[in-house]
Amino acid sequence: MSRAVPNLMGLALLPSALFFALFFFLPIGLMAVMSFLTGNPVVMPNVVATTRHYERILEDPFYFEVMWTTVRIGLWTTAITLLLGYPLAHLMARVKSRSLHALLLMAVLMPMLTGIVVRTFAWMALLSDKGVVNQLLQGLGFAPMQLMYNEFGIVLGLVHIYLPFMILTLTGVIGRIDERLEQAAQNLGASPIRAFVEVTLPLSVPGILAGSLLVFALAISAYVTPILMGGFQIMTLPILIYQQISANFNIGFAAALGMVLLALSLVLVVAYNHILAALSGQRDLQ
Amino acid sequence: MSARIELSAVSKSYDGGARAVDAIDMTIEPGEFFSLLGPSGCGKTTTLRMIAGFETPTDGVIRVGGADITRVPAHKRDMGMVFQNYALFPHRTVRENVAFGLRMRGMARAAIARKVDEALAMVALTGFEDRRPGQLSGGQQQRVALARAIVIQPRVLLCDEPLGALDKKLRQSMQFELKQLQKTLGVTLVFVTHDQEEALAMSDRIAVLNGGKVEQVGTPVEIYDRPATRFVADFIGDTNLFRGEIVPAGAGVALKVSPELVLPLPAAPAASGLVSVALRPEKVRLAAGTDANAITPGTVESANFQGGHVLYRVALPGNRHLLVQSRNDGSGAPLPAGAPVSLSWAPADLVILKD
Ligand SMILES: Nc1ncnc2c1ncn2[C@@H]1O[C@H](COP(=O)(O)OP(=O)(O)OP(=O)(O)O)[C@@H](O)[C@H]1O
Ligand SMILES: [Mg+2]
Repeated sequence: MSRAVPNLMGLALLPSALFFALFFFLPIGLMAVMSFLTGNPVVMPNVVATTRHYERILEDPFYFEVMWTTVRIGLWTTAITLLLGYPLAHLMARVKSRSLHALLLMAVLMPMLTGIVVRTFAWMALLSDKGVVNQLLQGLGFAPMQLMYNEFGIVLGLVHIYLPFMILTLTGVIGRIDERLEQAAQNLGASPIRAFVEVTLPLSVPGILAGSLLVFALAISAYVTPILMGGFQIMTLPILIYQQISANFNIGFAAALGMVLLALSLVLVVAYNHILAALSGQRDLQ
Repeated sequence: MSARIELSAVSKSYDGGARAVDAIDMTIEPGEFFSLLGPSGCGKTTTLRMIAGFETPTDGVIRVGGADITRVPAHKRDMGMVFQNYALFPHRTVRENVAFGLRMRGMARAAIARKVDEALAMVALTGFEDRRPGQLSGGQQQRVALARAIVIQPRVLLCDEPLGALDKKLRQSMQFELKQLQKTLGVTLVFVTHDQEEALAMSDRIAVLNGGKVEQVGTPVEIYDRPATRFVADFIGDTNLFRGEIVPAGAGVALKVSPELVLPLPAAPAASGLVSVALRPEKVRLAAGTDANAITPGTVESANFQGGHVLYRVALPGNRHLLVQSRNDGSGAPLPAGAPVSLSWAPADLVILKD
């Protein structure tokens, strides 16, 4: 009987293993192969291997610019969601009253019930050159401001969309930190803020790590929000990739850009992991 | 260094709920080992947390060394606390845990190192400095928690069931160590426990709590020998409880439990009508056979041999029962069930209780 259990577990893992193989490793593998081909082998008979897509990326500073813009937007989005999300997550994890907790959870989850496009259009109605905010500013006698079609607008839209991911991830981790640890620190003479910095903050590093990686990965691969809020004024990697496929039909180059995006995420994931683990002194994190 | 703690009419009700602590009055003397004893949910932890400053009393005043600290935040109270689950910082080494309070006080690095070493030596944990709490046994964690609390030389040490998670052997040795340490440091110690034996063995004085109220405050001997209320008599140790009517008997008074069972009382109680009395099993002398001078005859119902003594359950006239603890004096096997016995005790051992 007892020997059947691991087998059963293995069997239960099979669907997800298949799913991953089919929808994760296979597409990425195909993308990797395509990035080294001169064209799409399905429609073109005389396709040969090449590294010219990567050479093009390396040679033209424009693509570096795009990469840096993408990463910069990702970093800003991550930093702002973390700064906004942490206090709220802390409150949610520590609040005693059940009804207040439910209310906060509703407030966090509610925006997720509307689609990204709808929410982005709402921002556009508010922030566009002739939007609500600028009308109001002008009505009060101020000069209109450029609130979208720039990185500010994109970051704002992304923060709005990905904040719940940060909050929910952090709440889970902070909620599992025993409140009495902070009380013990206070009992030993630490002010509430000091107790938080000395105890709760370092213990919530895994949550900060997980939430940040999640938001960063989502932000650098976001497509709809950067297009709508950036109005094609700002070029990011996902937008560039889409253009290469839909307008230029250059699948090989798009695949190479995709590989770059993937590598970028991986490098940052590893770097971030190392930095925060070293900061918190928790070697067992990795 | 140690300080007197005074609680005057302190109450606490958690939002909307019933009173977890209900108008408690008590004074804990400087340097005293003071236990809060009571069943689960009686408000021990709540009382301790109010003294530590983690809960604000709904009513009443708490003073330490004469100063009102009711609204003083926890980190300014200068009290050491050992939490029930130790609450050691899991991301810090033993050394860092113990050094924490000193660091918060801005002490110089060298002085901290010296004090930490001293404190760890005191709890016999030298050599464990670089371990994390997760790499220690329960007893070792407990001692780290203790070292962390005493290293700051607090005026008051608060312990919430610090020995609760330990096995019996370790528990006993830690009881001894804690008591020794408290004596050496001369610190006022408030000790929460629901284990009556622990409280009796360690305390200078005990407050017995029930339902958020203080039932009795006294030395272990007072609590055990002269319980004030029916609850205390019942909660501490084995006891025989009788309830009856006060009747005159000769020159004095007696308690009429039933028409067949009348027990002489040492003095007329303040209350009249129905009163409860307690009688400890070991205060009863049991002799085989009948004796006209005994207080009451009885019949052995069962005998439970426990090594050093025998615990008898004796049937009394009027369908009552009495537990009797009889010392094993080497006179042979316990009396068999059905054996007639005569029972006597000093009338003063009959303790009149408040309900
Ligand atoms: N945070 C809280 N919110 C609401 N009620 C609480 C809270 N903490 C304790 N109580 C209630 O207050 C009463 C006293 O609790 P307390 O923790 O002081 O008991 P205790 O004597 O320490 O019990 P135990 O021996 O089980 O630890 C209980 O009825 C408990 O349910
Ligand atoms: Mg408790």
